[in-house]
Amino acid sequence: MTLIAPTHAPIDPPAIDPASPAAPFHPSIDRVITSRRGGTHFFVRSLLGVLATSYNRVPSLRAQLRTTDGWIDLCAGICTRSGSVSAAIRFRGGKVTAMGRVPEDVDAILVFKSGAEVRKFFAGTPTDQVRMLLKNDFYTEGSGTALNQFVYLISRATGRVQIRAMRRERASERSERRALAGATDPDLARQMRKRAEYRMAGVRSDPGVKFLADPYLSTYSLADFPRLARFLDRHLEHDAEVCPELPALTTRWHREHGYEVSEDGEAWHPLERKSLAYRYVMENRRPIIHAGDLIAGTTTSRETGVVVYPEGHGTAIWGELLTVPHRTLNPCAISAETRDLLHKDVFPFWAHRNFREWVRDTYGAPLCQRIDERFAVYFDWKSVTISHTVPDFPKMLRLGTSGLIAEIEAAISADPGEHDRNVHRRAFVVALEGLAAYSRNLAREAGRLAEAEGDPARRRELEHLAEICSQVVVGPARTLDEAVNSVWITWIGLHMESTNAGLSMGRLDQWLQPYFEVDMAGIDDAEGRDAYVKHAIELIGDLMLRCTDHLPLTPDIANHYFGGSSSDQAITVGGVTPDGEDAVNDMTYIFLKATEMLSLRDPNVNARFNLEKNSETYLKRLCEVNLITAATPSLHNDQAIFAALERYECDPRDVRDWSATGCVEPTLSGKHIGHTNFQMLSLVAALEMTLNNGWHPLMDWKVGPDTGSVEEGDFTSFERFFDAYRAQLAFLVDQSIQYNEMLGRAHQVLRPTPLLSSLIEGTIDAGKDITYGGATYNSSGAACIGLADVIDSMLVIKKLVFDQKRVTFPELKRAVDANFSDDPEILALVTNKVDLFGSGSADAVAMGNRITKMVQEIYDGYVNYRGGRYRAGFWSMSTHVSYGTLAGALPSGRLAGKPFTPGLTPQAAASASLLDNMRDVSQLDPVNMPNNIAFNVKVVPAAGESREQCVNTMSAYVRSYFQMGGMQMQMNAVTSDTLRDAMVNPESYRNLLVRISGYNAYFVTLNREMQLELIERAEYGL
Amino acid sequence: MTAATPEDADRTSMVLDVKGNALDDGPGIRSVVFFKGCPLSCVWCHNPESWRRAPELSFDAEKCLTGCTRCLDACPKRALDRSDPDFVDRTACDLCFACVDACPSGALARVGRLTTFEDLMNTVRRDKPFYDASGGGVTFSGGEPTLHMDLLGRLAAGCRAEGIHTLLETAGYFRWERFEKEVLPHIDTVYFDLKVFDPQAHREYCGVSNRTIFENFTRLAALSLDGEIDILARVPLIPGITATPENVMAIGDFVLAQGVRRVRLLDYNPTWVGKVAKIGRNNPFAQQAALRTWLPKEVTASLRAKLESRGIAAE
Repeated sequence: MTLIAPTHAPIDPPAIDPASPAAPFHPSIDRVITSRRGGTHFFVRSLLGVLATSYNRVPSLRAQLRTTDGWIDLCAGICTRSGSVSAAIRFRGGKVTAMGRVPEDVDAILVFKSGAEVRKFFAGTPTDQVRMLLKNDFYTEGSGTALNQFVYLISRATGRVQIRAMRRERASERSERRALAGATDPDLARQMRKRAEYRMAGVRSDPGVKFLADPYLSTYSLADFPRLARFLDRHLEHDAEVCPELPALTTRWHREHGYEVSEDGEAWHPLERKSLAYRYVMENRRPIIHAGDLIAGTTTSRETGVVVYPEGHGTAIWGELLTVPHRTLNPCAISAETRDLLHKDVFPFWAHRNFREWVRDTYGAPLCQRIDERFAVYFDWKSVTISHTVPDFPKMLRLGTSGLIAEIEAAISADPGEHDRNVHRRAFVVALEGLAAYSRNLAREAGRLAEAEGDPARRRELEHLAEICSQVVVGPARTLDEAVNSVWITWIGLHMESTNAGLSMGRLDQWLQPYFEVDMAGIDDAEGRDAYVKHAIELIGDLMLRCTDHLPLTPDIANHYFGGSSSDQAITVGGVTPDGEDAVNDMTYIFLKATEMLSLRDPNVNARFNLEKNSETYLKRLCEVNLITAATPSLHNDQAIFAALERYECDPRDVRDWSATGCVEPTLSGKHIGHTNFQMLSLVAALEMTLNNGWHPLMDWKVGPDTGSVEEGDFTSFERFFDAYRAQLAFLVDQSIQYNEMLGRAHQVLRPTPLLSSLIEGTIDAGKDITYGGATYNSSGAACIGLADVIDSMLVIKKLVFDQKRVTFPELKRAVDANFSDDPEILALVTNKVDLFGSGSADAVAMGNRITKMVQEIYDGYVNYRGGRYRAGFWSMSTHVSYGTLAGALPSGRLAGKPFTPGLTPQAAASASLLDNMRDVSQLDPVNMPNNIAFNVKVVPAAGESREQCVNTMSAYVRSYFQMGGMQMQMNAVTSDTLRDAMVNPESYRNLLVRISGYNAYFVTLNREMQLELIERAEYGL
Repeated sequence: MTAATPEDADRTSMVLDVKGNALDDGPGIRSVVFFKGCPLSCVWCHNPESWRRAPELSFDAEKCLTGCTRCLDACPKRALDRSDPDFVDRTACDLCFACVDACPSGALARVGRLTTFEDLMNTVRRDKPFYDASGGGVTFSGGEPTLHMDLLGRLAAGCRAEGIHTLLETAGYFRWERFEKEVLPHIDTVYFDLKVFDPQAHREYCGVSNRTIFENFTRLAALSLDGEIDILARVPLIPGITATPENVMAIGDFVLAQGVRRVRLLDYNPTWVGKVAKIGRNNPFAQQAALRTWLPKEVTASLRAKLESRGIAAE
């Protein structure tokens, strides 16, 4: 099957003059001005008056108004939708004025549902305010950055009160969790830890395993690696801190050399500007060798640093600069200096030079953006980054930056002239020079530390590191140590260029094995080889721990939206080689050993399993590691992925070389910009809009097209209803794609990625950065949320309303609207009389295939700005919880406020037999799900079952599910009782891993809604 | 429901349920076919709904929705009455099951459905990949599967033909000749329950004589010694009834005399006491305190030790 031609015209952007930034967008003030202004209006007006007076009278506050660019010029408004409240505050020239109306040139407005919500907002903690935003009690118009700046200025004036309230909130949160969890058994923590004490031994049976007699490496435990144990403690105990280094350096360079135009008044080419700024950052950032480490370099200047990308979503933290250390979920430290730097120097410079604001200013706050910013329907990730891909590490290891630069310069010579292609290519060279400079600085630092080191063993290690960094990344890697350091230094380099969200490391077992083999071949005695294997385990464990040295910048709203997620740096093991041969090798098992010992949430370990080539030994090991760590690796069926990607007609060798990206999404390693999480889209939102003729209940907004009314009897057949659903979904997809396309342009202007481009095939030949479509393969991948909920709802409507006529559609709709509270009989009918998806029902599978096909066909209508196609996936990160807890009841019988099912997992009530679940999921056609799925299964060892027996059952599940065609599955091997105890005693479960939908998280870092969702998942004994 | 014609009478059989993903009813991942109808009537029976061969109506008062009258409206015999503590007048009910269809909550349920060979094969075949990958297969349980000799034999043969491992769980009360001819050739493993050794007590607690049972065991044991079949003797531990040292040792000695050196003791599970009322039966044993609690672990351990002391591997 091949792809049909796209049916939608690409988004036509307005011409952009690079020399002049778009005019700042102001929201329009066309609100009804009612004469009836109530008490709330005067309350807000006087509150703003008090705020103004404080800033005018208190010098320390007034000092906050002065930035590098002079006095803050900001006007923020507060109003209700009816206009019953309408007030504003203006900061200008060091003076602050409150107003009883919203002026024309306001920068940003908070629009509340009614006066009651306004009062609630001002009485609440920041957490309450985030919840209100998610509940659409208010929304924002105008510049989000300006609003965050305004929130910060409020917090400066009221900070102490706020922080006290947040402390109280943290304390009560703890007791609320205890109450929700009920009585628990603290001994479960010990039982969980005990799992790692028994380990099966393996027998060498994979052709690619050359050296490991016991591929399971069962004799090793974390106790054998005190260095790793120490680093793990650091990771789990150390609070993250916001690192100022990257934003400070990048802002300094741009202030000196200009952003839109250079210091000579010439318009900057975005590639040239970005590469020079990048090189400056890399040359000037501190080269740090982490204490005791075998690998050189750190992502930030802090032990665990939070990176701020000001042109990405950095300014989203502006409003929380004061409160972020005190918030309940994932707090992080921030120094007063960093806070001042960001508030006064960095953020003002980037206020309009970030993706969201650039789109708002350039396209005039388009509908697609306004929908996105309601957080209820879709979320486009390009407002943060595009980095969901896998760079060509083999090329970096083979050539080093010097070899890469030589190749690029050859391409320039072969294509002479002053044209755009060579501007791009030269930018690649400059970026690589930046990376090389950092590596050299690391070598110097290692040498300096070695001289000062008193401990001779550590001195030798540091001297060795100095030698390694003198070789890589400038030259090719020759040993495993050099290769691992090269990967890590390049990794840092990529993080300094663009936001790390889902940037993935790919098939490191494949790419590192040759170096391991060379090293082993050079050792003659068995003892020496054993010692080297131990060193390799330690080195890989160290690499994985290095990956934990930074965390994404998480505004509090993201704690509720994407709770507990780190950067999701996926590593992929196993599968087949590009030639189709068994790829499992020594390094595969070494990675699995490190995974087993460390139980890290990130890197996110993904295992490919090829039914034709991979061994039972390997499959059993994957299951054992999954059992010991409770949640990792995630398991993928090679053949199903191949089938899903076939229609894109890529070189089969490249398809066989796929890696998982971010959560689960397939990317053709080193050649493919697939921005595989361009959006999270709620399939349920479209269903709610279909039931309400285009009106979305939570947003209280008639945003979709007219497609017919249930109450007025417009749906005379199920087909008409299904068509209406298609129309609403097509509308949402169209809007989200428009936004993606606009953000894509924003990336080209604001943040091209020349370093990443130099490590993706196709760009050098094309002379095009990846953000301009230079990669060999291009696509955009969607995550569609709530598939099982929609399938079940459709089945209920079809069976009960149209086929059996047991209820009328308006009756069902009334019951749904009232959350079934007045109609338990209809709820009972819905839950008992319809065979759901996952029950082993052919009808349900057919409905699933019909819906996924329809979804993919809608996406097939588009081609993206890089010339790639849109691909649907059915996984949800954590948004099945955030979207679900805000959505009303559904025809499926799911009650209001309950999470949707994770990924496309059938709901717990579908069947008592896990096999029914697996069989139905496996029968969904992969062709309609090219961006992969997440299928969660909770299996727990029954009391008294042996390890071997549990592993046998798990591997039988996986093999059978794959044989039937299933694409992916992820097992949580932890009981609900254990999770409940972890809710009460988090300190006993620091790294208890859980799979959410695609990614891993530490259970104890999750918001409580997500914790409850995990507890309520169906549990099957082993 | 269409009635089966006389020719079909043995072609279709009453089945309670097919349970997939069973991990405790034999090796590997299995499907368990529960046949309906049992010649025994053990007082502690965990599946009292499996005694009768005929379908039955079950009513679960906890699931019933207050205020809902759909079943009352649907019943042509007016056999349902809210003022009746049992709700169902079983003398008036002619098992048309119109109420089950109307009931939204599942409180009223049909126990037992008439199924054919093809039906059952289609159901168990779906999970073949799981059997293959785990060394599992299909288990026939009940009720008493051998009450349905024809279907049981054909089903076992059908599974075998498709390479599916077959396991029979039986109480042993069946006619040997027919079993030997129609069923035995298609069964890989038999789990054979021996409950009460004393004939008088067996009649008292299980409703029938145990002579046939022990004779059948003897025959199967002889075949197992020839390697023709796998057999496992199982003793369900019922407090005060089977879980006495005298009974367990008597069974152990008997088994040993047949050359079998392995016995599995099945732990007692008191949850059956709640199931009795749902199908409108009265069982005074359900009120006995000893039968309403779990058997202490020490009791099981000491029985196991006693068997072991005779050289029997007690699981």
